[in-house]
Amino acid sequence: MELAQGLVAIGAGLAIMTGMMTGLGQGFAAGKAVEAVGRNPEAENKIRSMLILGAAIAETCAIYGMLIAFILMFIY
Amino acid sequence: MIGNITIQIQAEVISIIVVSLVIFAFVFVVNKKVKTANIYEKPKGILLIATIFVEALAKLTNDNVNHKSAANYAPYIAVLALYLLFSNFSGLLGLSQPTKNYSVTLTLALITFVLIQRASIKTVGITGYIKSFFEPSPFLFIMNFFSKIAPIISMSVRLFGNITSGSILMLMVYGFTAYLSGLFPIIGSINFIGPLIAPFLHFYFDLFVGAIQMFIFISLTTVFIGIELSQ
Repeated sequence: MELAQGLVAIGAGLAIMTGMMTGLGQGFAAGKAVEAVGRNPEAENKIRSMLILGAAIAETCAIYGMLIAFILMFIY
Repeated sequence: MIGNITIQIQAEVISIIVVSLVIFAFVFVVNKKVKTANIYEKPKGILLIATIFVEALAKLTNDNVNHKSAANYAPYIAVLALYLLFSNFSGLLGLSQPTKNYSVTLTLALITFVLIQRASIKTVGITGYIKSFFEPSPFLFIMNFFSKIAPIISMSVRLFGNITSGSILMLMVYGFTAYLSGLFPIIGSINFIGPLIAPFLHFYFDLFVGAIQMFIFISLTTVFIGIELSQ
């Protein structure tokens, strides 16, 4: 029935909105990392690896949302 | 098909076999070169890659697992790193990545769960382990129980979600460029726009995301083990 398909599409669109605050949080972390490198330019490698690790862990919420959106789109 | 029974083999099983053969070939070649190498000169070529890899993993394991028995976990972490790296890169060869199957990532997360619980039991003993469920208050039993189950779900879904979403997005890009190529009259049956813009996306989705997720999986495993061993 087409009402069900339309509702599934709306649900997938709502699920992908978890990426909004993730972008904000990762941008904030990158800003703090740049400030830390400016304060201490010798620790650049350690700060870079810690930034990548922290950003990718904070990205898991957005990945959960994207996974649910893909499952909704392709299976229902 | 054997008689009336149909056996289905998923595409990831072939990928796991190919990845295992590649790892075996790499390790075999390094072994032969190590036996005939001169220890007083600098390594070059594949021996240099192997030296850098072993040093980096030993440093990572010893830093995250702050305990004297950290060297016991290093071989498993090294094999896990090689397996995850090559299996995330196997999307470049056109194979369906093994980590695109939730069974593979769930198995790896369950192995990590068993390692963490064993480290905890070895440190505080089994009575301390059962008593840790009821601290600081017996009403928090459910919360303590779920905080031990949570790393399994989060680590397996993180790895599975990253790799699967990357491969579905690449599939959609190839489908769209095939439609665009089909608009050309004679040469349209071959998708010639796809290989023009796909390598940049492959560089991000296969190489970058694969390497980062491998690094995160290993870091989280070693950090959780280190937390349990230091109590």
